[in-house]
Amino acid sequence: MNTLTTPGPGEQLMPKYIRRSVFVLSIDDPQLGEKAYASWADAIILDLVKKPDRDWQQDLTSRMPAAIHAAAKGGADVFVRINCDSAAAELEATVFRGISGVVLKGVTAADDVVTVAERLKILEASRGIASAALEIDVEVNTAGAVWHSLEIARASERFGVFLINEPELCKNLGMQSAPNLDFDPLEYIKSQLITVATSVGGQALGMSYPLGLTQENAGDDVVKKAVKRARDTGFKGAICSHASWIKFCNEGFRPTAEEAAYYVKVIEVFAEGIKRGMASVPIDGKMIDVPVDLRAKLYLKWANRAQARDDEKTKAHQ
Amino acid sequence: MRMTENNRRSWMIVPAHDAAAVMRCVDVKSDVVVLDLEYAVPPNAKESARAGLGASIKKLGDAQLEVFVRIDRDTRWADVRAAMHRGIKGIIFPGPDAPEEVAELGELIATMEKERGVESGTTELVLMLESAKGFWNAAAIAQASQRVTALGVGRIDLTMRLGPVPQDEFRLYRFLMTRVLVAARMLGKQPLGALWRPGSRGGVAAKDATAKAAREARLMGFTGCICATAEQVPLVNEGYGTA
Repeated sequence: MNTLTTPGPGEQLMPKYIRRSVFVLSIDDPQLGEKAYASWADAIILDLVKKPDRDWQQDLTSRMPAAIHAAAKGGADVFVRINCDSAAAELEATVFRGISGVVLKGVTAADDVVTVAERLKILEASRGIASAALEIDVEVNTAGAVWHSLEIARASERFGVFLINEPELCKNLGMQSAPNLDFDPLEYIKSQLITVATSVGGQALGMSYPLGLTQENAGDDVVKKAVKRARDTGFKGAICSHASWIKFCNEGFRPTAEEAAYYVKVIEVFAEGIKRGMASVPIDGKMIDVPVDLRAKLYLKWANRAQARDDEKTKAHQ
Repeated sequence: MRMTENNRRSWMIVPAHDAAAVMRCVDVKSDVVVLDLEYAVPPNAKESARAGLGASIKKLGDAQLEVFVRIDRDTRWADVRAAMHRGIKGIIFPGPDAPEEVAELGELIATMEKERGVESGTTELVLMLESAKGFWNAAAIAQASQRVTALGVGRIDLTMRLGPVPQDEFRLYRFLMTRVLVAARMLGKQPLGALWRPGSRGGVAAKDATAKAAREARLMGFTGCICATAEQVPLVNEGYGTA
């Protein structure tokens, strides 16, 4: 499920991972396992709770392996959310076999990622985790993370995903949290993060305006449309504020069945045209040439990988 | 930290050579008065504008107003020398392209503070970005001097430099505003800018357009802007919120 290998030629445009729906659950949630299993999320982020009345490190260390196991029940990749300002201690208490990586929050510069990457290397060696297996994702909630996004994404081979935390980022930027504008005030920031993440072979996860800001438990149609806009913007998935979003993210952040069928037709018709010595062929009044054929192949691969991911989760549910 | 951004919503700009206009600022109640040595002053009035700065700064200061001087990029050294008088709060530097320019100006201000008896290190620098280079270097430029307390968007020069005058929305403007906002927030500087729409800029803006430009900029995270006319001041103050 989780590989950190560089995509081969022709795969650069593919999403590095199928990470359409990301769901956050607290390790203190007594129904953690049930909720994770029922969610069908591609990834679960485990949120830590540091209890002030006890040794939180010891507490987490003793509970994390079971929490990771519970979160993975439904076939989701499991991540742990780590706060930058106390990363070393939190990593020590939470990195165990079974996680796919960490989601780093509060990043303001590339050094934050470098420090965590070095620590993960040591923990992988000491805890029986394959070398370089753990991914570092960055939850973007500061102006510094936006400004330094390229350096941050390039800071480690482990970098995988930017996850945009819109409410917190807006607060950090002094933006009003009410969506009263007729445009997305984060539009250019989102464009930047998508481009930067893609440039290093990663991806960006986020929701379209205003749902990404309001985080509402909106109706199905609203979520569906928001997911479509987010996918059209270049996001490959989103953090789901509500379990009800997950289904629509899983369906929306991938080519649809109709699109996949069309791509199959494009590939077949174009191959026939090439055999006949043609450089382009028409389908339903549209011209199909090399770039259209390539895009169809890429999107079909994306659809197939998404389907494979769904199959894995289905297997985990049997 | 000198920044008091919640108290600096409206930056009323006034030609430095026009003594009557300067004194009218006492009644306008803008949060900041900006004595202009740049576009609002015709070339043949530059010298008299510079010569009158000391008296204007004192009078406005006596009225408890915060006074900044906007210098001309091309004559910035002479302008800073002329502007540095007791009571000045800061210098607005339009169009910096590189950190070295800001550092150099900061050093000149330090020299002038000593020479004119202005408390050392108290004169602020406000940078109005007006070029592609300036926007790209925004963070480095803003960090070039400890004096920098605000970063702003200079729209008219941007329009001239980055493309033809737009007939419709200047879409690039929102990207540039976002860039300034991110740099300013990252570095703890006040972000200055209003979301002016086509035909609504500065002195030609109607009341409702001014109110909208300020309100939308506040929603985007900005906390103040330049006012070209006294009528804009209450609208801008309201748009950016109560001090």
